[in-house]
Amino acid sequence: MAENAQHANVLDIGAEQLGKIYARALLGASLRENTAEQVLDQLRDIVTDALAVNPKLAAAFESPRVSSEEKSRVIDRLFGNSVNPILLRLMKVMAGRGRLGYLGAVSRAADLLHDEVAGRVVAEVSTATPLTDDLRNEVAQRLSQSLGKQVRLKESVDASLVGGMVIRVGDTVYDSSVASRIEKMGRAARDGFARQLLQQSDRFTSGV
Amino acid sequence: MKFNSDEIASVLQAEIEQFDSKIDVREVGTVLEVGDGIARVYGLSGVMAGEMVQFPNGATGLAFNLEENSVGVIILGDFLTIQEGDEVKALGTLLSVPVGDAVVGRVLDPLGNPLDGKGPVQTTQTRPVEIIATGVAERQPVHEPMQTGIKAIDAMTPVGRGQRELIIGDRKTGKTAIAIDAILNQKHTGVKCFYIAIGQKDSAVASIIEVLTRHGAMEYTTVIAAGASAPAPLQYIAPYAGTAMAEHFMYEGGHALVVYDDLSKQATAYRQMSLLMRRPPGREAYPGDVFYCHSRLLERSAKLSKELGGGSITSLPIIETLEGEVSAYIPTNVISITDGQIYLQPDLFFSGIRPAMNAGISVSRVGGAAQIKAMKKVAGGLRLDLAAFRALEAFAQLGTDLDPATQAQLDRGYRMVELLKQPQYQPLSAAEQVVSLFAGTRGHLDDVPIKAVSQWEKDFLQFIRDKHSTLFTDITEKGDLTDEITKRILDVIKQFKSGYKPVVPV
Repeated sequence: MAENAQHANVLDIGAEQLGKIYARALLGASLRENTAEQVLDQLRDIVTDALAVNPKLAAAFESPRVSSEEKSRVIDRLFGNSVNPILLRLMKVMAGRGRLGYLGAVSRAADLLHDEVAGRVVAEVSTATPLTDDLRNEVAQRLSQSLGKQVRLKESVDASLVGGMVIRVGDTVYDSSVASRIEKMGRAARDGFARQLLQQSDRFTSGV
Repeated sequence: MKFNSDEIASVLQAEIEQFDSKIDVREVGTVLEVGDGIARVYGLSGVMAGEMVQFPNGATGLAFNLEENSVGVIILGDFLTIQEGDEVKALGTLLSVPVGDAVVGRVLDPLGNPLDGKGPVQTTQTRPVEIIATGVAERQPVHEPMQTGIKAIDAMTPVGRGQRELIIGDRKTGKTAIAIDAILNQKHTGVKCFYIAIGQKDSAVASIIEVLTRHGAMEYTTVIAAGASAPAPLQYIAPYAGTAMAEHFMYEGGHALVVYDDLSKQATAYRQMSLLMRRPPGREAYPGDVFYCHSRLLERSAKLSKELGGGSITSLPIIETLEGEVSAYIPTNVISITDGQIYLQPDLFFSGIRPAMNAGISVSRVGGAAQIKAMKKVAGGLRLDLAAFRALEAFAQLGTDLDPATQAQLDRGYRMVELLKQPQYQPLSAAEQVVSLFAGTRGHLDDVPIKAVSQWEKDFLQFIRDKHSTLFTDITEKGDLTDEITKRILDVIKQFKSGYKPVVPV
């Protein structure tokens, strides 16, 4: 892996896959001791606070030139007292296998897996104007009913939708936005008109 | 001409009133990378192999590779305006193309979009592009002739309706010319023709369309063009799309003739896609399933059983060889799939023997059953005779003295070779071929100078058309050489020869 951090929006599928494997191990171990919530929170904190703020630390974690013993010592010194022992051991195992650079992917995958185990799903809701509290509750409730799972909403505002809302759960998108409906209606009218025009073109012209 | 705006408004109003809006539920993914006509997409977790997907720029794609973490999509359209991060939508359907009478006479791209500027294809009928061919029980053996109008082919390697006859040869040996002649000869037979141009120069396709139009063949022909500038995925699906259009007529009990020009370019397009998709390369860097790519296509040419209406698709796949190398990967594959091959050779072509068919190694494995009886009688031993002649000719070149019998065999051979030459775009009817081959194989040409044979034949056929046209209709109707017809042909030949002096061109 390159020592200089990759461009942020590049999705490295290999890393995501690797993260999933370590995440499953981490979740299995922490669930057995009922510390899953705590461990995942701490992992998220490490990724978002410690690594994102200190690119040098992140680079050191990624670098194959820093020996695994050195990395273990750094982990002990920085997090030895503050984090759950399971998480500490995970980081050392990853350091020993030269995978410490994938902590971010592990954190993301572990969050998803934990949601899945707990029967929770994340629904991304886009609306043209910000959701009111009433609407938010109703959307969450209706989604939980139809999906049979506890729903966590992730909201975003997109004025180009004009109205209505677009909900995304996993890879499935439920689109009832005004923008997409107008677009579809426009296409239907255009196709229908073209059909009629070719079938009976004389209807639309008068005189010579 | 004035446009009636009230009428236009009322139509639009009706369309909008009928518009039924449902919540749009779709499975989506995100483009990870795109280029060379393929895209890798993250997400689309429920997509199935071969399913259609849509990109935001309106281009459709096919899920080609389902991998653990991503989906490889081939893009059938403009891939230059697709960007990383674009949302890809699964459409939940298989790729299909418009079919029916509306496509006849049109020039289309492999998705059924018009390329001829004659407006949209007016039909609601579609058929899926990829289907599994009909099984054993739904077929019957080939028994009807599919006349190509070319003497050498109809006499020695006859093609039946439902047969797959490969046309193979080097570049510039007249492969396309044979296929075009076969299409021209389908006039007034009710056979729908499909000419599928894969990876060819657009100028070549344009001139073929021009020839077809000039000879009135576009009335029953559809041209599907994926030129050299079309992306590889379009070149790859073009033959399947054309076959789907032909199948519509076959399943309605009609007959279709499909020309794939040419399958070596399709294999190259498929190789490009497969390599970009990181499928393992095999021999000549083709993927492992390039055989299946062609076999599943050609297997769709069939003669349906009587219960299914007895329709048929005859196909003439074309393969271009390099330096006559028929043992390369793709030629051997397609030779083994098809029911025979017409082998064209450059040396014959340049020595003026056109069509440049090598009679010795060209075969038709099933077409014999489809030959009319009259043709079988006049052309029965022709293939073997010609092969014997070739051997003898090589021997005679040594300059040895020959006994009269051998000399006679040689003379007959020279005249037969001359008789089997045929100009382009002049297909002959079965009856005309029978009469002219009769004159050759029964020795009535032996006293005509070799160089005068073509003109003799031309004038002879014109003589019959002018004075004895019932002879042609009788042969066509009976389909056999009865004693009575044989006698009439002999009389006509005698009559013609008595008043004709062969002209040797200077």
